[in-house]
Amino acid sequence: MSSQTLQKVDHAALKANQLFIISLNILAFIFDQPWLAAFVALVMGLGSAFKVPGFLPIYKNILKPRGWMKPDILDDNPEPHRFAQFLGFIFMTAGSTALFLGSAVLGWTLVWIVVALASLNAFGGFCVGCAVYYWLARLNLPGFGKQPPSGTFPGMKPKAGSV
Amino acid sequence: MSNEILLRSIFALAIIGAGLFAYWLVNQRLLVKARSNVFTLFSKLPNKPVIVYFTTPDCAPCKTVQRPAINRVSQLLGEKLEIVEIDATQRPDLAKIWGVMSVPTTFLLDARGEARFVNNGVTRAEKLMEQLDTFSDFVI
Repeated sequence: MSSQTLQKVDHAALKANQLFIISLNILAFIFDQPWLAAFVALVMGLGSAFKVPGFLPIYKNILKPRGWMKPDILDDNPEPHRFAQFLGFIFMTAGSTALFLGSAVLGWTLVWIVVALASLNAFGGFCVGCAVYYWLARLNLPGFGKQPPSGTFPGMKPKAGSV
Repeated sequence: MSNEILLRSIFALAIIGAGLFAYWLVNQRLLVKARSNVFTLFSKLPNKPVIVYFTTPDCAPCKTVQRPAINRVSQLLGEKLEIVEIDATQRPDLAKIWGVMSVPTTFLLDARGEARFVNNGVTRAEKLMEQLDTFSDFVI
C-alpha cells in the first residue's frame, strides 16, 4: 500500500447507480425486455465515457436534493469504480447483444451476473471490478496505477481510516 | 399478468432468494467468529446484553445515523445494556478477528456472551430494540 493522493468519492452516488442497475435489469428480465437491458448498458457506457456513475444525474438532481439519499463521501480512488462500471458495461453490452441475437440463456445469465455483482457492491460493500483493477495494478499493467487506500482490502469500501 | 411474466418473477425471486441465503450464510459465519472471539473484548462477561459497535472516525453514516440510534437504545435501556464501541482504525486486530469488513457493523450479544445478531451497515434503533427483544433472558 503506497502513499498516494486519494480523492473524495461519494459512495452514495455509486450506490444509487448500482441500485438503478439492479432494479432495471430485474425489470428487464421479468418483463422480457432486452431493450431495457440495452438501455442500462448504454447508460453505463455513457457513464464510463464521462467518468461518472451512469445514473449520477438521478442521484444528483432527485435523490440527493430530496434527502432520499445522503452523501457518503470517503477518501478513495475513483478509477477502480470507473473500471468496475466499464466491466459492467462490457457484460451488459454482451448480454444485450446475445438477447437481441436470440440467445436468451446467455444474455440473461450475463445480465444476472451484473445484477449479482452490483448487489454485492451495493449491499455488501465489495466491488469486484475494483478488486480486479487492483489485481491488475499489482501486475503493473499500464493504466492501472492506483493502490487500495491504506489498510483497505482491495475492492472493499474504504473505512476512511482502514481496518 | 401473463404466465410468462409470472414465471420470470418467480425465477427472479428464486435468484434473489439464493443471494439472500448466501448473505445469511456469511452472517452466520460472522456470528460463529464472534462467538469464538468474545473473550477478546471481555475478561469477564458483563452478564447483560452487549452491543459491540465497530466504527471509524471518518465514517459519516456512523456519526449521523448509527451513533444516534445506539445512543437512543442506550438511553432507553440504561444499565440493562452495555455498549462496547470499537474504533476499527485503532483496533484493526479486533476488526480482523471479528471479521468486520465494513463500518458500521454491530453485533448483539446476549447476557451469556453469545453473539446472536450481526448488522452490516446502518441499523435503526427500532431494529436493535427488536433484536434485543428476542433475547429470552432479557425483558425490555
